Amino acid sequence: MSKKLSLEEMKKVAQLAKLHFEERELLQFLQDVNGIIAHFEKLDRLNLEEVSPTSHISWSQPPTHGDEVLEWQEKESIFQYAPQVIARYFIVPKVVEKEEK
Amino acid sequence: MGDLVSFRDFTIKDYHGRLQKGEFSVEELVKMFLERIERVDGLIHAFLSLDSERVEKRARELQEKKPQGELPPLWGIPIAIKDNICVKDLPTTCGSKMLHNFIAPYDATVMERLKAAGALIIGKTNMDEFAMGSSTENSAFGPTRNPLDLARVPGGSSGGSAAALSALEAPLALGSDTGGSVRQPAAFCGVVGLRPTYGRVSRYGLVSFASSLDQIGSMSRKVEDCITLFEVLSGSDDRDSTCAPYPPFSRREIPPEEEITRIKVGIPKEYFSSGVDRSIVKSIEEVFHLLRKRGIECVEVSLPHTECALEAYYIVAPAEASSNLARYDGVFYGLRSEGDTLQEMYSHTRTNGFGREVKRRIILGTYALSSGYYDEYYLKGMKVRTLVRKDFEEAFQTCQLLLTPVSPCFPFLLGERTMDPYQMYLADVFTIPSAMAGIPGISINCGYHDHLPIGLQILGKPFEEGWIFGLALLIEKLLSLPSPLPHLESRKGSEQ
Repeated sequence: MSKKLSLEEMKKVAQLAKLHFEERELLQFLQDVNGIIAHFEKLDRLNLEEVSPTSHISWSQPPTHGDEVLEWQEKESIFQYAPQVIARYFIVPKVVEKEEK
Repeated sequence: MGDLVSFRDFTIKDYHGRLQKGEFSVEELVKMFLERIERVDGLIHAFLSLDSERVEKRARELQEKKPQGELPPLWGIPIAIKDNICVKDLPTTCGSKMLHNFIAPYDATVMERLKAAGALIIGKTNMDEFAMGSSTENSAFGPTRNPLDLARVPGGSSGGSAAALSALEAPLALGSDTGGSVRQPAAFCGVVGLRPTYGRVSRYGLVSFASSLDQIGSMSRKVEDCITLFEVLSGSDDRDSTCAPYPPFSRREIPPEEEITRIKVGIPKEYFSSGVDRSIVKSIEEVFHLLRKRGIECVEVSLPHTECALEAYYIVAPAEASSNLARYDGVFYGLRSEGDTLQEMYSHTRTNGFGREVKRRIILGTYALSSGYYDEYYLKGMKVRTLVRKDFEEAFQTCQLLLTPVSPCFPFLLGERTMDPYQMYLADVFTIPSAMAGIPGISINCGYHDHLPIGLQILGKPFEEGWIFGLALLIEKLLSLPSPLPHLESRKGSEQ
């Protein structure tokens, strides 16, 4: 498991995480992350082949309820605290980009 | 009327007694706490925002409509709320620049329950950004200082809530615990903090960090108040599918003292290793001695995967965080930075909005979940989690409760561990395993070394908070330590 992230891998992960780092910052983060990953080596000592994973602690069957549409009671608050509103519409950034010609 | 300093060891019951007798009104009580905050919070920075006007107005309304006979459980009692729990019409920043302008348009389930019980929300407390940290130094709005020693950290991530309690700025507080964020700051500030069984308190309205681990915890100055608060907060909630469909906790679940003195308590040997400060070990051993004198059998047990739990946690929690924090992209919440393209806007927003530790964990989590590494990291982390859970199940075959230190170290100096993330993570080494297993635990003060408090952790079986409270009450009684009262005002030249 004791793999170290390369600078290239780090750049790829940063891109996946939608984070941008200046080169110097990237090296610092790489060092930090590799420092932490090095400790994960301890887990290599364990025999985990027959062990089933636990993703979530659940003590009982999760409760279920009908798929019903409920009226949201706080509509005014939603508009009151939205960054930009015109009438009862939210103003959001433009997400459709111009096609390059 | 008295002043807060004379209320040092007051419980809710004591405040209610005075309110019933008319010694002071709810409004006067609230004003006392607000004045205390005004006098001392400049030194410790426990609060990110206060709701002074509304809380005073609400206090007047409560007083005017004072019920006849028995008061609702938290009637007229001020409470401080960690800033990652949504309180309608109040900021919820999560200690992050990303949410600096976010005002919650709705109440978390716990807030609805607190309000229905008559509690008064006094303000929102400081925290490590998105609850990622063990010292409250990762807040985008500046660190909180430990009221018992201003050069030191209050622990984290619920450091603001713990410091507010310790400095007597509020009699009650809420925190959230993902890997120890209620218990560790409670220990560092000499107060009480409960992490409930996973699923016993609704997470609806708690800003998610690692959903399979996050729990809202009750914090107070005395065990008695922690019980009252937990009774109000717990219980099923249709809006959180991970919330167990069980009734709220009732103090009737706490066994009587004579039953507590007949139990067997486990001492996990891995929690007393060479890495633990010897003064902490000594103080906790004194508690064992007191318990033995009362007839409680203390036996050594082993939790062999304790050390590995920390590593597994730093795979699992960042993996979940990287997914949960993907929602902060500049479109729906908080900060929005400009960009020429949509991808650029996402990237600029996240780069500007998140602090260093949050970025570190997002990178770690994204890597652990990325193609080719899932089996090597995330799957492995989940398997270790199974082993950690089994360790506890086995230990609980032979004993009713476990007793451990909360942290291997004393509150450290501000800045002491910020350059080495792993050293910072080690402060939670004894609170992480139980969080991974989903079992409940409480942190109570069991003494001081010099002026620094020592936290004792009591861990119990799932949904058996009653036993934990029972033993916590007994230990509190046997030790009879006064609640903290730091001399903050004298530093500003005023009398105390």
